[in-house]
Amino acid sequence: MPKKDAELETKLVHGGFEKDLETGASNVPISLSAAFAHDSAEQISNVFHGRDFGYVYSRIANPSVVALEQHVNLVEDGRAAVATASGMAAMAILIESLASVGDEIVSSKSIFGGTYYLLKEVAENQGITVTFVDTCDVEQYRAAISDKTKAIFCESIGNPKCDVPDLKALVSVANESGIPLVVDATVTTPYLMSAKALGVHVVWHSATKWISGAGSAIGGLIVDLGHFDWRVSKSEKIATLAKQYGLLAFVNRCKRLRSNKGAVLSPFNAFLLAQGFEHLAFRMKAHCDHAMALALFLQDHPAVESVAYPGLANDEGYPIAKQQMRYGFGGLLSFRLKTPKMAYQVVNALKMVKNLANLGDAKTLVIHPASTIYRDLSPEDQKAAGVYEDLLRVSVGLEHPEDIIADFQNAMEDLV
Amino acid sequence: MKLKINGEEETIDRETLTVTDLLTVKEVKMPDMVSVELNGEMLERDTFETTSLKEGDEIEFLYFMGGGMI
Repeated sequence: MPKKDAELETKLVHGGFEKDLETGASNVPISLSAAFAHDSAEQISNVFHGRDFGYVYSRIANPSVVALEQHVNLVEDGRAAVATASGMAAMAILIESLASVGDEIVSSKSIFGGTYYLLKEVAENQGITVTFVDTCDVEQYRAAISDKTKAIFCESIGNPKCDVPDLKALVSVANESGIPLVVDATVTTPYLMSAKALGVHVVWHSATKWISGAGSAIGGLIVDLGHFDWRVSKSEKIATLAKQYGLLAFVNRCKRLRSNKGAVLSPFNAFLLAQGFEHLAFRMKAHCDHAMALALFLQDHPAVESVAYPGLANDEGYPIAKQQMRYGFGGLLSFRLKTPKMAYQVVNALKMVKNLANLGDAKTLVIHPASTIYRDLSPEDQKAAGVYEDLLRVSVGLEHPEDIIADFQNAMEDLV
Repeated sequence: MKLKINGEEETIDRETLTVTDLLTVKEVKMPDMVSVELNGEMLERDTFETTSLKEGDEIEFLYFMGGGMI
């Protein structure tokens, strides 16, 4: 196991797992068991009561999943972590853990389409009012908060708009109101940004994306970063749990919801995601380099109207991204062609780059967000989320950057 | 040092003792996963090494595997 003060790359490789105590296996064993046997009635009762260590049923806790939770908690330097069936399961649990009927949430407008639907439709059906504000306008967040607001949500880099909120400023707004700032850091991953160092209260990831790195496993991760005192939480159910669980009340609330709803991560996916962590640092460096190379190419292309990538010195998000991020600016970019027809033409002419709805794969991926992920948003909501009819989103992969650029160059040849 | 551990009075043969030391002395199972309550207050994990125990302290070791078994 790495030392407590080990560098991030070392923690990413080793996680919190030393070896399997019975076999010496150096990788986390995949515990494909629904339930776990005990030696006596007393022992299982002690486990149920939390007086003894043990597993009972994989909907409640599973060794492979717990190992992944310890892994992400170590790399985020958190208080405790919760793994979920998917990124959306993580977000649904976060909403319900923090807010109930009659409560309010303030969210950035520039968010993933699935998150938007979850807030707009599912949360509102649960009697939670969501106010959407401009991602980068700190005063809009402050103005939208009422005494019923229970949390602020945003993404570390907006998907697909690639805008960058000032997280330290949003932490201050949240602290003024005594509510947590919850950040979806899927695009920045634990490697490119330390959410804890910025003061963020809760960070979550769709681990399906860059943490998996292979487009193979669906999963979500929530980490309580230890900055929030849940004993004085404005969320009623967490405040009640805090009487018993103290500062662990938030994570316990999330785990209870996960268990009650059955939104658990499969042990097999936990294994795959833990493997992803081992080489996350080196993959992210390459994703960043390749995305920068493609952004610079697109920026100079005559058929391109504009490029959104926070690593470009002329990008609006660059000054904040430079402060908040480390090692690079991520693998996500978006760009506008001059017409919607041109956007379709590019997608259809790409030979190597895959046209599919995912991010963070080793392969370069492209999609036309307006007609797919964001199809049900009104034109006004699409515009607010930075989704234009001529916009393409690219998740830049690990192929040789010259091959990635060449595919776009060939696909865009006839547009000029 | 006399302590109350999980409701039972025990004497630990040490003059000074941190929570981390106590986890070792008591051979607590899976110390990375245990939560520790000291005199009714749940401790932050990163304070285990620096929290010194004193005569008469009440300590509970608890495992919240699923946020409370349900």
